Amino acid sequence: MVRETDPPLFSQWLWPSVLYFLEAAAILGLLTVVLSFLVAAFRYGPVAAGDVTYQAVRTSLRDLFSLSPRRISALAWLAVQESLRRRVLVGFAVFLLILLFAGWFLDANSNDPATLYLSFVLTATTWLVLLMALFLSALSLPADIKNHTIYTIVTKPVRLGEIVLGRILGFAVIGTLMLGIMGLFSYIFVARVLNHTHEVDVASLKNVPNDSSGSRAGRTTLAQNHRHQVTLDAKGNGSTDIAQGHYHNVTASTDGDKVTYDVGPPQDLLTARVPEFATALRFKDRSGKGGDRGISVGNEWKYRSYIEGATLAAAIFTFSDITPERYPNGLPIEMTIRVFRSYKGDVEKGILGSLVLKNPKTGRASQIETFRAKDFYIDHRDIPRTLTDPTGKTIDLFDDLVADGQLEIELQCLDDSQYFGVAKPDIYLRARDASFTMNFAKSYLAIWVQMLLVTGFGVMFSTFLSGAVAMMATLATIVMGFFKQFVVDVAQGAVQGGGPIESFVRIVKKQNVTTQMEPGLSTDVIQAGDRVFMWFMTHVTGLLPDFRQFDNVDYVAHGFDIPPDVVLVQVFTALGYIAAVFAIGYLFLRTREVAR
Amino acid sequence: MSSEVVVETRNLSKDYRDFWGRQKVRALKALDLEIRRGEIFGLLGPNGSGKTTTIKLLLGLLFPTSGQALVFGRDATDVSKNERLGYLPEESYLYRFLNAEETLDFYGRLFDMPAAVRKQRTAELIDLVGLNWAKRRQLKEYSKGMARRIGLAQALINDPELIMLDEPTSGLDPIGTREMKDLILKLKSQGKTVLMCSHLLADVQDVCDRIAILHQGELKELGRVDTLLKVRDETEIRARGLSEAAQNEIRSVIERHHGTVLSLDNPTTTLEELFLAIVRDSEARPGRRAKQDS
Amino acid sequence: MNQRQRFIRKIVYACVIAAMLLPLSWLSQPETTESKGGVLAQMRSEHQLSQAQLGEIDPASETIKLATLGMRGVAANILWTKANNYKKTEDWAGYSAALEQIAKLQPNVVSVWIFLGWNLTHNVSVEFDDYRDRYYWVIKGIKYRQEGTKYNRDSPRLLSDIGWTIAQKIGRADEHVQFRRLFREDDDFNGSRPLAQRDNWLVGREWLLTAEQVAARGVAVRGERPVLFYSHPVMCLVNYSEDLEEEGTFGEVAKNAWKKAADAWSELANRDLPTLSNVFIRLSEKEQYDEKSAQAQAQLARLTPAGLREKLVEEKKASLSESEREAYEADPSQRTKEHDSLMYLVNDKMAISHLEVASRITGSDHAAALKAAEEATNADFMSNLINIERDIVYYDYWRLRCQIEPEDDTLEARKLIYEGNQAYNAAQLVKSKELYVEGLQKWRKVLDAHPALLKDASMTDPLVESINNYRSVLHQLDETFPGPFVLQDVLDADVAFHGPRLPISQDSSAADGTPAEAAGKPAP
Repeated sequence: MVRETDPPLFSQWLWPSVLYFLEAAAILGLLTVVLSFLVAAFRYGPVAAGDVTYQAVRTSLRDLFSLSPRRISALAWLAVQESLRRRVLVGFAVFLLILLFAGWFLDANSNDPATLYLSFVLTATTWLVLLMALFLSALSLPADIKNHTIYTIVTKPVRLGEIVLGRILGFAVIGTLMLGIMGLFSYIFVARVLNHTHEVDVASLKNVPNDSSGSRAGRTTLAQNHRHQVTLDAKGNGSTDIAQGHYHNVTASTDGDKVTYDVGPPQDLLTARVPEFATALRFKDRSGKGGDRGISVGNEWKYRSYIEGATLAAAIFTFSDITPERYPNGLPIEMTIRVFRSYKGDVEKGILGSLVLKNPKTGRASQIETFRAKDFYIDHRDIPRTLTDPTGKTIDLFDDLVADGQLEIELQCLDDSQYFGVAKPDIYLRARDASFTMNFAKSYLAIWVQMLLVTGFGVMFSTFLSGAVAMMATLATIVMGFFKQFVVDVAQGAVQGGGPIESFVRIVKKQNVTTQMEPGLSTDVIQAGDRVFMWFMTHVTGLLPDFRQFDNVDYVAHGFDIPPDVVLVQVFTALGYIAAVFAIGYLFLRTREVAR
Repeated sequence: MSSEVVVETRNLSKDYRDFWGRQKVRALKALDLEIRRGEIFGLLGPNGSGKTTTIKLLLGLLFPTSGQALVFGRDATDVSKNERLGYLPEESYLYRFLNAEETLDFYGRLFDMPAAVRKQRTAELIDLVGLNWAKRRQLKEYSKGMARRIGLAQALINDPELIMLDEPTSGLDPIGTREMKDLILKLKSQGKTVLMCSHLLADVQDVCDRIAILHQGELKELGRVDTLLKVRDETEIRARGLSEAAQNEIRSVIERHHGTVLSLDNPTTTLEELFLAIVRDSEARPGRRAKQDS
Repeated sequence: MNQRQRFIRKIVYACVIAAMLLPLSWLSQPETTESKGGVLAQMRSEHQLSQAQLGEIDPASETIKLATLGMRGVAANILWTKANNYKKTEDWAGYSAALEQIAKLQPNVVSVWIFLGWNLTHNVSVEFDDYRDRYYWVIKGIKYRQEGTKYNRDSPRLLSDIGWTIAQKIGRADEHVQFRRLFREDDDFNGSRPLAQRDNWLVGREWLLTAEQVAARGVAVRGERPVLFYSHPVMCLVNYSEDLEEEGTFGEVAKNAWKKAADAWSELANRDLPTLSNVFIRLSEKEQYDEKSAQAQAQLARLTPAGLREKLVEEKKASLSESEREAYEADPSQRTKEHDSLMYLVNDKMAISHLEVASRITGSDHAAALKAAEEATNADFMSNLINIERDIVYYDYWRLRCQIEPEDDTLEARKLIYEGNQAYNAAQLVKSKELYVEGLQKWRKVLDAHPALLKDASMTDPLVESINNYRSVLHQLDETFPGPFVLQDVLDADVAFHGPRLPISQDSSAADGTPAEAAGKPAP
């Protein structure tokens, strides 16, 4: 799995984020107070304005502390009733339709169907739920105001904040229900579609050459657009190779003369590996000098860097917290190594590489272990507790190679002028497997968080905009949220082709992004306009949520457990935003004459 | 009767502005009112005269352009006043997808009432407005009269001290109208203050203690109904069993006192007369204000 | 008054709307059985753009197109960007999924299928290190394009591209040995095709022939020169025959394969091919035109009075500028760079066309001379055209190869050399030496019969490789490379093509006559 940046650690993330949140809240709060004072001063004169502002702040705070759970729950209940009224069930129908016809749109021949199907259901669910949250949340309050039903609410002792909060909660409940059911259906769908088995193609079984143990190799029948190569021992037990990201175990049973082979369900297809990634990765160049990166083989993508074969070049992964308690049976290593050949070499054979385990303190090392690199596959190998050192002496993994819980694994390429490419997450210890179902649920939690955010923004916008406009504003927030990185890049001028106005001019004039704008007055005007635009963009987008941050699809789709820290950060970020939109919604509703 | 002021407006004005802040309509001009505990106060006026605006200002649904609206001595925008207030809007703006019980329970919850109390109040009120037979039906199936009744029930859910009724009898049949009026009088007898606005003069005349007549946002007349309707320079004589001669004799007596016989027919609804006179007068001489009530 | 104005305005609006509807109906009236429909409908059928004509109408594709609500272009754009990003970050599952979706959005754009299919077979496949993975992606790219033929059943370009990819990508890749083996074993791709037919060249040829059939129905071949388009299936047969021999199949099988290839060449040579000059030519007819031209030129020469040509030369020379004449008159070996660049122009100016000569012939011969000149010019023009097309497909060389390869001597020579190589690789030195000697002798015979073979490096290269093996065998047997070597002309030709070759290894250069050493020795 590709992780271009390390996910945040909750403990390290929390305090800076809370501080940032408080800072932003303080600035915005102060700005609001100053602004309302100015408006009041304009209307009633400065003396009365002071009083008005003071009263406003006082009642706001009082309102905040007199929120009643019973009233909020009543309003939430109302929102639920309203959603049911508005036939949210149509959403389910659409979802079921999508699942029914998913086969039409998905590549049946994919080389990684688990990833494909999982990302498909998760993405489809995300969009459907977000869309429904958008419709429900943005249209509800404006409809109440338009129908005047709000009159009977606000003439009760309802705090305005309760109206905002009640709606957010109500729609969140509906969203939660929907997500729950959709999740269940998705799970069944994915499990059903991906589950399959093969039969051993008995005719294809042949004795393995140069092997006296009687093992045989052959292939399985075709199922789900793929087949496996199968290797069986003399008794007929064995396993298949990895195809489409999984393998099967094969067991043989003898009934008289007849041998029947039983191919098990797919293994490693729906998993949740809990990886223990290296805490550091450093490189040695061909002369053995250390550095942060290896060499580039000319890829545009700088994620992996490469080490040259048959030289001193090496990639050294440092693992921490290696204890016999955590790894009683030795180290289960999984690695994905990219291969770059500078010449063809032996096509039939993979490039030879080696692993050495090293004590970071004493430098004591294990005997090298060689392997043939499997490009784009996850290669699993178990390092036993008892090893030998280069001189053949027996050493203990934990006693001799681990220092303060730290262990180094040194990767080298052994073939001359061939290269290995790695990034830090490419070698990890597969400490254990978490439950896939739980992982799936966690990914739905991330969708839930997004749903909550959309609901919050929808309700917030609907406190001061009419239904359609509120919906557009929320939609804009979602779109901006999904393309936040791009928008930030545009705002900071990191994207080729200039700011929004310049880009627009370029589109109209069919001008390439790389060509210079003709110098002159019009270009100056355009670029000055862009600078103003970009200044606003920089500051506005800074406050908007980054929806990509809530995207856990990759983890689930590639069979990795979503780290709890990631989930915590997502939930807390969302709570921060909910608090903010609640406050903003409350303020806007206060300044609004609902009977207009 | 207590003289505590429950509702007070001071110089209350409201301008409606368009999107650009330009003044469009001056809906209410410097209204001064005081409504005391226990009275039934009627706001009268033709459509667009500012009655509903006044009520909305008192409820905090609108913010005054200038002046003050006080309810229970607190600013009308203060939420806490709502604890003791009931409001029946002009049309029953209720959630049509709820049934009667759900509706009342919902509004009860908005008053933070415990479940048991809510249950009891709901049953009482449904009984009171006579909707027991239809309490499980969604409001969208209700007729206009039924909707009014459930609207009234929700206004009373918190047993309010002050009740604001916007056109309480509109859409009701004669029997319904009568029942509504009886109910209003019953509320008064329980010591509650009622502020109602209407353009149906008969209703107001029957139940209101005091009325204010608004026209084009201005207060035109204010006072006790009986005082207002007493036309001091007119005498109405109604009798039974008088002979032609006796009638002539009465006529002559009146003539002797320099009076003129106007009619000896059935009396007209004089509130209507008064109202029409005010409207005519107001249109002829805009800007004339009502004499301050004494 | 006001009401009347409003009424009149409504009438005006109605008229304007009607006026705008007229051209719209003229443009877009749909096609029916009775009428040909509006201009757009007619253009659609003329350019064969209507859905039903193009191929299958796929509900999934239509759904996706509808779901984009007219934002198909935007959606396609986003998908392309996404696909690019997947490719950059090496997410191949995501990449191929995006490709499927793009195809569903733009199913009738043939270049999309071709471009993206090419990406899979040629760019994605090489990212994988294991040749089996590579093969998987090659096949995936081919299948992707095959999917495209469902939507575009009459596209010669797409059909031809599929055939070409099956033939060339599998048959010419670095891993072609492995690819061809995997292709033969690929039950899933080949289905019930019998093993003998499971050759990438033959299967590719089937697709190429389908493309030809479609073209024969009158569908224009776009994006490729006709001569190339028609040469692909022929070359498939040639390559098939070559690979048969390379993989050790000789005798009747190889002979027949070569004969079939020769027949295919003959067929192509007699096919009417369109050219860029809007004239149809046949590759076989060059010699006829040359003959015709020669005759006409002879006729013209007979009619040309003595001294006319010399006179023309003098006149032309007089028309040259000072510097041009200087260049022209300079000794060719003494010409400066400026002279050389001028000579292009000068040569043009000094050329004397047949018609120029004929127009100067006066009297009774004038008409006959003009006619002869015209004939010669036309014949030259045609001969030249054919020559251009011939050069493009390497006509002369392949005709020759197809002619000699089925001959028994050639087959025998190839077989011996093949066996020699096998023995060499199996370190059976003596046996390989014997086979080499015999094989090279056979080659001598073939080359003597067809000296033109030496004109081409693709002929000599494999021979030189075998000669080097032979040299190495001799070295290992402590024998010297024979002095007057039987195929010395091959080695000479090789040096002419590539320059002197470097010694194979240090020790072999020390032992026997490497080019470097041989150069120092006096020639025997």
